[in-house]
Amino acid sequence: MIHDTPLDRILIRSAGTLLALLWIVPLAYAVWAAIHPPAFEARFDLTAPLTLANFTSAWDQAPFARYFLNTILLVAIILGTQLVLCTLAAFAFARLEFPGKSLLFALILMQMLVMPDILLVENYRTMRSLGLVDTILAIGLPYFASGFAIFLLRQTFMTIPKELDEAARIEGCSLLGVLWRVYVPLGKPAMLAFGLVSVSHHWNNFLWPLIITNSVETRPLTVGLSIFATTDSGTSWAVINAATLMTSAPLLLGFFLFQRQFVQSFMRAGIK
Amino acid sequence: MKLRNVFFASSAIAALGTGASATDLEFYFPVAVGGAAADTIQALTEEYMANNADVKIDAIYTGSYADTTTKAITAVRGGNAPQLIISLSTDMFTFIDEDMIVAWDDFVTEEEQTDWIGGFYPAFMANSQTEGKTWGIPFQRSTPVLYWNKEAFKAAGLNPEEGPKNWAEMVEMGKALTVKDDAGNVTQWGVHIPSSGFPSWLWTGIVAGNGGKLADDTGTQVTFNSDAAVGALEALVALSATDEVMAPGILDWGGTPKAFFDGQAAMIWTTTGNLTNVRTNAPFDFGVGFLPGLQQNGAPTGGGNFYLLKGSSDEELQAAADFVKWVTAPEQAAKWTIATGYVAPRPDVWETDTMKAYTADFPQALVARDQLEYAVPELSTFEGPKVTQLLNSALESAITGQTEPKAALDGAQAAAEAILKPYY
Repeated sequence: MIHDTPLDRILIRSAGTLLALLWIVPLAYAVWAAIHPPAFEARFDLTAPLTLANFTSAWDQAPFARYFLNTILLVAIILGTQLVLCTLAAFAFARLEFPGKSLLFALILMQMLVMPDILLVENYRTMRSLGLVDTILAIGLPYFASGFAIFLLRQTFMTIPKELDEAARIEGCSLLGVLWRVYVPLGKPAMLAFGLVSVSHHWNNFLWPLIITNSVETRPLTVGLSIFATTDSGTSWAVINAATLMTSAPLLLGFFLFQRQFVQSFMRAGIK
Repeated sequence: MKLRNVFFASSAIAALGTGASATDLEFYFPVAVGGAAADTIQALTEEYMANNADVKIDAIYTGSYADTTTKAITAVRGGNAPQLIISLSTDMFTFIDEDMIVAWDDFVTEEEQTDWIGGFYPAFMANSQTEGKTWGIPFQRSTPVLYWNKEAFKAAGLNPEEGPKNWAEMVEMGKALTVKDDAGNVTQWGVHIPSSGFPSWLWTGIVAGNGGKLADDTGTQVTFNSDAAVGALEALVALSATDEVMAPGILDWGGTPKAFFDGQAAMIWTTTGNLTNVRTNAPFDFGVGFLPGLQQNGAPTGGGNFYLLKGSSDEELQAAADFVKWVTAPEQAAKWTIATGYVAPRPDVWETDTMKAYTADFPQALVARDQLEYAVPELSTFEGPKVTQLLNSALESAITGQTEPKAALDGAQAAAEAILKPYY
């Protein structure tokens, strides 16, 4: 192991600080604009009066409560289904033998190479023939069988010592019992890491929900926010920033609160 | 199992919908002037349904123009096209190219051809007809005008009732209106011509005011580097560079009304779609005038048209067309204009009592109508988004001083010709 010289440490620290500052600037501006009256959007005066009026005004101008409900339902449905489906699939690929296994696995890996945007029209056709256009289920359906989750969990399951598996079977555990009692508990860090990626991706996803939803009852936050922030009539940055902060707050708060756990599980799952 | 139930249920509903009893229509609409205007469209749709029990219209607010176009194109390709959308008038050639719209001519009687389609202002129809057919019906149409702050005019010793009549006057007044504090920082600029995102729109007006034209009506030929166009761009660049009456760099569209309200700019160029917004929010008296031209009056039109999309039965399209006939009729169009400030697209709308009462109280609303006489179509060609983007990039590089106006426009012209070659 090479030891850091003091110079290295200074360089690393200052580069880190610089990146952190760059990252925080837009957020800091959003907070500034959101908690001050619109007159102070571009005037940085420490004595500027504080207000929460932008938040109430944004909340009143669009049905954000409904959008929140839709988004929470959406990410919960997606994550729940993904975890069940992909754990089962990953277990099969990691520990079972069946004909065509490597071909199937290659196909699943292919899914990770295809940009979902290319499939917009095909997915739309499928949803239409299922009669699901403009439903929350339709936003989530194309993402249920996640190639990334299957791959990640398979790799995790492969690292679990076979001895544990065999010991459980000798004790009379069924196949699904082994999955539930041995693999799932040991795969938790990977699942947590994947859960974070999945939730933040679907919380922020825009194009597909925009296309497949038509009404307030199904639109998630991103689409609602975009429809709310139309530009021609003069944007009120204060109100838009307030709305943006509101919509991203749950994710931000969650991340700040559970930061340590997230970072640890990322390290263990090997996603960096 | 659940999925199948949903499937059967919805096919059953679809089967009912195609029965003789009722026609279900879908209608996507964007409102670029802010969400409140969406309520007006909902209210108009509901009024129509109350009077026509056999038609059910689902009016779907789809946010910005770009989002609406994306949704519509996907829906058409996915075999689930709405019957009706409002989209930019400049999308006409793109939609024809995509083979996704039908002409209105099949859904109007001969009488309506003259009375209804013939009744719109020719300036608005310029972006709505090609190859002898009518593809778009003007609805949320706008044109840019100049707004001036009467109080700032008074403070600068100018006559607050008279805006600039031509470009030279605008520069002259702009110099008087540009105010600096003791440290030499500008606290109020004379003019604000927004240039973020789509500078080509307002610039089309400057070119028209200089006697030039950017495209022909076939959508295949452009003339970005004519003398009139180069002169127009040089004049625009000079506002910041040598006249020093406008803030340098790219000026934001969305922030334009705000800069006006806050007194950061004494004259602004922006769409009439903002008239109601400015009227409600400006804390001072303001005047509205024609865009000041370099040699003559000139302004582009802009905004959205109704389009009929392919993929529905003739009965459904006919029902959609009938709705559009109703919503563009004088009384309804007057409500829409008053709610938003969009220019009423037909002379007979201005003759209604509602409109007369409105303009008597608020004569600024008449300026946009009177300017239509000098209006030119907004830039619209085949491969429209690409060609317009080329021009926008060229304008931005000239405005930010990276490229000389002539060189930037020559480059855009050459690139646009290459794109349009297959369409000659």
